[in-house]
Amino acid sequence: MRSLPFVSLLVFLALCCTPVVSSARERLQVFVTEPYLELHTGAGRGYPVFNVVPRDASVHVLFRRTDWFKVRTERGVEGWASAQELTRTAMADGAPFHVNMGDRAGFASHRWEGGIFAGAYAGATLIAAYGAMSITDNLKIEVGVSQFLGNVSDGYLADIGLAHVFMPEWRFSPLVDLGTGIIRVEPKAILAQPVDRSDQIGYVGIGARYYLTRRFFVRAEYRDYVVFTKTNANEVNEEWRLGFAFFY
Amino acid sequence: METRIRLLLLSIAVAACSGCATMHWPWHHPKTDAANASTASPDDVNAPPPSVIEPQVERREIKVPKIRAKDIELGGYYGELSIQDFGAQPVTGARIDYHISEDLFFEGTYGRATGGKTSFEYLSGNVQLLSNAERRFTYYNLSLGYNFLPGEVFIGRNLAMTSALYMIGGIGNVTFAGDQNFALNFGAGFRVLPTDWLALHIDVQDIVFKSNDIGVYQLKNNLQATIGATVFF
Repeated sequence: MRSLPFVSLLVFLALCCTPVVSSARERLQVFVTEPYLELHTGAGRGYPVFNVVPRDASVHVLFRRTDWFKVRTERGVEGWASAQELTRTAMADGAPFHVNMGDRAGFASHRWEGGIFAGAYAGATLIAAYGAMSITDNLKIEVGVSQFLGNVSDGYLADIGLAHVFMPEWRFSPLVDLGTGIIRVEPKAILAQPVDRSDQIGYVGIGARYYLTRRFFVRAEYRDYVVFTKTNANEVNEEWRLGFAFFY
Repeated sequence: METRIRLLLLSIAVAACSGCATMHWPWHHPKTDAANASTASPDDVNAPPPSVIEPQVERREIKVPKIRAKDIELGGYYGELSIQDFGAQPVTGARIDYHISEDLFFEGTYGRATGGKTSFEYLSGNVQLLSNAERRFTYYNLSLGYNFLPGEVFIGRNLAMTSALYMIGGIGNVTFAGDQNFALNFGAGFRVLPTDWLALHIDVQDIVFKSNDIGVYQLKNNLQATIGATVFF
């Protein structure tokens, strides 16, 4: 109980130390090839430009935050440059500096994705989160956790499975998935003799994803779950979910 | 007749003599190779001369340093949570934020507080509506935030800090009065960054859920005001 603030304080202090350690890293140096590179006071389009770096001068890239890069000029001035402008610089060997800002090509082919869902599992309200790693553009390993909150019982679901995206290059791309996991059901106290139980599940699903912009897409899915109960008959439950996801 | 045969033989002989040059006899091949060789020789002249000095330096592999992405915020918060019917109580929590773009971010929070006594319990003396364990109010939220008023704050003449006023809303779970409830949360917050890696937050949110802890289904509004700090990494 009382340990939570203490632990979070410890985590906080530990994290405070990390920027000091990382400052000795080797930085990427890029050269301005356009007439100038604008430096903003903050990581956002509306922050004023307070410095410009002339053509052929260089900047060191310190770190990235979303689509903005903190850079340091040769004179030691630090400011924020947009990814869009930095893509028009060159590296020391003359090769153009490439920044992945998230686009349709990235939607078709990426390594990681994650998102959150809301929906319904067997009539109960569902909250879910998932993460996926791509094996190929079509095939992904997915891991998910969900919680469902119903009138008669609550519970948790943890699942792992494979998803197959049919046309990853399409803006609207259908997918199917198949997996297994465990479910924990906690019946509410209003029922006689409530017993918590954990069972293995298997699921099969059909869904689609739709690319919005940059790194974002929406994903909707319908799944059929089979709960391998300890009684004679297995339970079959339906689930639908709609969520917001991003890829990286 | 004789002249006809002679004419035929003569024409064959003429055809043979004129055609033999155009035909590729096996013994003609060396000559054609020689001809090809003579046509190829100007190319050799155009080719670069063999270099005198062979460079002994191996091509260096240039390793491009990786750029760190600092899009994740992790930290804690402390404040006051007004649990409907159970009084305003101190709340502590942890939060993790992931900034997807300069406008949008995901946020996950986990918080806990302990509900106080209802007015009914105070007035009626020795009545206890909930046990101590049931008074524990824990919640988690998964939210999407939007930085709708980004800007800068100035302290004095020489210090400027980037900041943002954001709106946030999401879904989550509240465990209270021995029951788990699906909850919606929405609110607004203010974030200011004294350094690139530290952020200070002031947040006001309403956590709403439907509950029947007093026998009838009721919408419970639980307003929360917190201050917090997070670290970017």
